[in-house]
This record gives sequence, structure tokens and C-alpha cells, in this order.
Amino acid sequence: MEFKLEAHRIVSISLGKIYNSRVQRGGIKLHKNLLVSLVLRSARQVYLSDPCPGLYLTGHPGAPALPQQPGESVAGPPAGWGEPPPPAACAAWPEPEPQMELPAVPEVPREGDAEPAATVTGAGDTLQGGEAEAAEAAWRRVEGLRETAVGGAGVPAGGSDVFPQGPGAARRPCGCPPGDEDKMSASPRVDGCRTPRPAGPEPPVPPPVCPRKRGAEGVGGGPADCPAPGSTPLKKPRRNSEEQPGGAAAGAAAEEEEEMETGNVANLISIFGSSFSGLLRKSPGGGREEAEGEKSGPEAAEPGQICCDKPVLRDINSWSTAIVAF
Amino acid sequence: MAGAGGGGCPAGGNDLQWCFSQVKGAVDEDVAEADVISTVEFSHSGDLLATGDKGGRVVIFQREQENKSRPHSRGEYNVYSTFQSHEPEFDYLKSLEIEEKINKIRWLPRQSAARFLLSTNDDLRINLWHLEITDRSFNIVDIKPANMEELTEVITAAEFHPHQCNVLVYSSSKGTIRLCDMRSSALCDRHSKFFEEPEDPSSRSFFSEIISSVSDVKFSHSGRYMMTRDYLSVKVWDLNMESRPVETHQVHEYLRSKLCSLYENDCIFDKFECCWNGCDSAIMTGSYNNFFRMFDRTTWRDVTLEASRENSKPRASLKPRRVCAGGKRKKDEVSVDSLDFSKKILHTAWHPAENIIAVAATNNLYIFQDKAN
Repeated sequence: MEFKLEAHRIVSISLGKIYNSRVQRGGIKLHKNLLVSLVLRSARQVYLSDPCPGLYLTGHPGAPALPQQPGESVAGPPAGWGEPPPPAACAAWPEPEPQMELPAVPEVPREGDAEPAATVTGAGDTLQGGEAEAAEAAWRRVEGLRETAVGGAGVPAGGSDVFPQGPGAARRPCGCPPGDEDKMSASPRVDGCRTPRPAGPEPPVPPPVCPRKRGAEGVGGGPADCPAPGSTPLKKPRRNSEEQPGGAAAGAAAEEEEEMETGNVANLISIFGSSFSGLLRKSPGGGREEAEGEKSGPEAAEPGQICCDKPVLRDINSWSTAIVAF
Repeated sequence: MAGAGGGGCPAGGNDLQWCFSQVKGAVDEDVAEADVISTVEFSHSGDLLATGDKGGRVVIFQREQENKSRPHSRGEYNVYSTFQSHEPEFDYLKSLEIEEKINKIRWLPRQSAARFLLSTNDDLRINLWHLEITDRSFNIVDIKPANMEELTEVITAAEFHPHQCNVLVYSSSKGTIRLCDMRSSALCDRHSKFFEEPEDPSSRSFFSEIISSVSDVKFSHSGRYMMTRDYLSVKVWDLNMESRPVETHQVHEYLRSKLCSLYENDCIFDKFECCWNGCDSAIMTGSYNNFFRMFDRTTWRDVTLEASRENSKPRASLKPRRVCAGGKRKKDEVSVDSLDFSKKILHTAWHPAENIIAVAATNNLYIFQDKAN
């Protein structure tokens, strides 16, 4: 499970780097992007091959149907999820890429987002044969969607503002400081995304988390920065009331952790269009690199509680979609 | 190979007492991106020292002649010439900005049979230029696939053999090195030799590919060995043995557990260079926190030194530094978590005949010499 969390975190970081590469001075650096895509592929393999029950989205017989509505109860996963994965299976590096049956992603298509759904399917077909090809092709399509969404207006400049890289990032001390979930707003992540301000009880519709984004977050949404609740084309309005994990302390800590990770990913998602809006809400908190010597974050301390969280399960489907697309 | 006292080749890196000699560059805390040094190279005699920076400027230092009235300023390097070599360009067709950063400076031998030079800034191609033909070049290596989506590796560094002008090596992002002989075919897409060390499966991680990417390759002066630098180590290869390196030196193994953070802050993509001393008995490469490392190949001893303004008094000896990887930190040790990853030494150069080294620390150039010199 730790591998999965770390893989998740690495995927989100990698997506950010790929985006940054498009807006940085000097153009796309082929070598760096190639390396990032290799990391992304490794992380994706681990993420998708992790046989931890409940997170396997391939129609694995043991996995429950993913809830389409937040109101549905989640029955199956929690018990299995809380168990540590069998070491041999989860810890082993997936050498041959497992033959994945990619999920249909019914909730991905949103208004105006038919393209990414097709992208996902297409990417899945070519998954075994040409990952780089799929990634690049999917990347192009997602990019196209983004530009459509923002009307092609001045995104690169905005992008570079949003994701400052280079010296600012490099000067950051290595190693995530142990309690950086507390400083999430003060210390921007390496790609500069500000974590979203938790707006107390979260609104039914996830607001785009980075106000500097150029309106990419809502196709047909309301105000550029914050679509009014209900005004987005999302099919799955978020219901906050059922979403709190059991235990106030765990929930609060988990939420903080998830917020930080969500912010990172959410910004990326808002750029790529609302097809990944499932990720704008809580995602599994980013895993801590195990060798950093710090105690596990709160989300690891209460894995059962967090991962049985409904939006987490919902997010995972979309997350898998995002992974496949890239 | 130790060359103690023989023909102008002083002893290797670790029997020496390195002392501060000079530092060039501004002292400002706020370093302009354009002032960051991107390459350092001694000329073949060692009398000239060139640096290039990200702003496209080249500065050439010349060593002063020995001056009897000022014995201590023996061989100081002072600015000889400076010029703007490259300007930023914009390719309007592709909407690409072409950086003006100086990637590499190579000195041409003054009298040499070599009339060719390599240009290897491209990820996918190596071109050969004749010195007298400036409007076109010969392409000798081309690894660009027909379909870019099938790309799996890029060229990361290349160098001509020091003595056999038809032989060149190039390294890849996959950690492999290919040696090519231009006499066998015009297009060196088939290598003569292929150097690769098998991966250690027990150390596999998400970042295995990145840290195995070779950032620099350098032939020894003898031409019998070559050295490669990847993220965590320096490897010495015997050109006659392709299966594995003959030596592996760990530069900063304590970073292996930090790879995820280093990936996040982009440090894992830093391209460190490496260099040989004049008689190939020692090698040097940079690290973080303005540390640089020297490895003596004969005694198998290594030392970590620091380029800092605090140790910049004339002829002040450099004290060896130690990094504490874990456990109780001893006095004078630096803990891994307190390393400054914005202070990286990527470029170093060793005088071809004497124990003088030039170390580029961001926008400053440090020159150190052996006390005995």
C-alpha cells in the first residue's frame, strides 16, 4: 500500500513536470521529459498492478462496483483495504507489465469532454504496445482540450506563473519536511501549486484550486476562478456530508494531507479540463517516502479510514483514468 | 600509473594539501540566472582557462608568468578576454526559444593532426565538422527513430578519443556507452563496442532509470580508460572490457534514500561532470552543498572538499568535509538534511599537468592549488 501511495504521489509530480516543460524557457527538454515519462510509467505500473483489494479498478472479481453516486455506501473495500498487502505481490517490482483490463470510465465524459474519454480508451488499447506513443498521443489530445477550454489565451504565461520552477524550486531543501502538511500554504510544492484553501465544509462542486489558472477548470463554468456551485458541467456533484472519514482527528489530519496532495493534482487536472474533475476532490494523501525517516503521515496511520472514503474510491477511478491517459 | 615525481606528473589527489588560490565572480546572494557558470575547461597547456555561462558569455583567464618579486602570486589566473558568444534566438516556425547558454567549451590543439571537431549538443545526433568547412557538417550518429513516439533514449555526452582521431564514444540516457570507429562506416549507427553494467535488481526503484543516465563521459589522458558520471557514482571503464566498469566510486550514496525528494525538486536531473588529473591517477567530480569529491585511484582514498567564501583566504588549506548519513552527527560533520541543494558543483576542471583545479560553484569560479606547487 505504501508503494501505491508513493506511486500516486510520483505520478502527480510527474504530471506537473510534464506540464511545466511546456511553458518553461528554452522549450521542451527532450532528455528530461523522456526520464520523467519513464518514472511515470514505473509509477503507473506499480499503481495499477498493486493487487490491494478495493483499489483495483479492472473489474477484479473481488472489487466492489465503484460508487457512482456519493450517496452509495461503500461496503467491500474497507476491510480488505486496511490489511497490508501481501509483500510478495505488492512489493515486487512489476517486471513484465501486467495485462490490464482497463476500466470503462463512464463518469469521465463530461460535457464537451468526449475527446478525453476516447483518449483513455485508445490509450488503453495501445498500452501494451507503445506506452510512449500512447502517452504522447494522449498528451496531445489533452493539451488540445486544455487549449480549447481556455480559448488558447495566454496560458503559457499563466502556466509559468503558476508553476515556478528552476532556482526557486532548487533552493528548497531536499526532503519534505516532516510536518509540511501544516505549512502547505506557506511552502508551495515544487511546481508551485498553492494548495486550495479548505473552504470548511466543502462546496458541492469542487472549485478550481488555483486562481491563477486561466479558466480551464470549468467548461462553460461560471466565473473564471470559481464556478458557482452547480454551474459546472460535472455530472457528479460532490456531497460533502457523507464524505468525512470516521474519526474527527483522523479525518481532519487526513483532510489536510489530502488537501495538499489534491492541490497539486487538482491544479493539473483543472488545466487539463474537467474530464478529471473527480480528482479535484479529496484524493488519497501523498505517501511519504519511506526512507526519509519520518513517521508516516496521518493517512498512513489510518489507512482503513481514509481509503474507504467514498470520494477516494470515486477519485481512484478517475485517477486511473488519468494514469492511463498519460 | 601513480607517477610519483615522474615527468611533470605530481602525485594523485589525496597526498596533496589543497589550498585556496583564487575566486572569480560576484559575491551577491542573489545570483542572476545568466551568471551561472555552465562550463569550465583548461586549455591543453593549462595556461588558459575558459568558462561559459548561461547568459552566453565566455570568459578566458590567462595564467600569469612567474614573477620573482611576487613569488606567492605564482601562476594566478587573470581575465584575458571576455566576449558574448551566443545570443538568445527564437525559432518562430516552431515557437521554440533557443537558449544562449554555453553548454561546452573545447580547446582545439594548437598543432594537431586533428582537423575535425564534434558538435554534440543535440540529443539525437552527433555531427562532425571540418574546421575549414563551416556551412555543413557530416552526420555520424543519428538515433532519432522514425516515429518519435518510439524514442527510448537520447545521447547525453560524447567525446573523441585523445589519440585515435577516428574513435569516439557517446553515452546515453540509459546508462550505456557506445564506442564508434568512423573508419568502419560513415554513419556510426553500429557501435564497435557497447559498454553497459547490468542493473542490480535489489536496488531497483522508480528512479533507477534516471540515476543511471550518464551525464558525462571523459577519456583518460592515456586513452586506455574512460570515466562516466551518473547521478550517484563515477565509473571507470577499461576500453577492453565492455561488461562492467573496472572501478565504481560512490559520490554521494547517502542521497539514494532521498531520490523521491530529489525528483520532486528536480535535483535528480542535475548533470554532473567529472575530470581526470594529468596522469590519470585521480578523478574529481562535484556534488551538492558546494562540495566536490576527489578519488585517488591508486590508494583508493577519497576526499570531500568545499568551495566556499569562508575558506577563501589566500593559501588557506582546505579541510576535508564529511557528510553524516545517519545516526549521531559528529562535530564538523554535515547532516544530509542540512545540505544545500541549490549549491551544486556541476563543472570542474583539472590542469593537464599540475595540481591546479578550477571548480565552478554557481556563479563563482574557485581555483585551488596544491600547497607544494
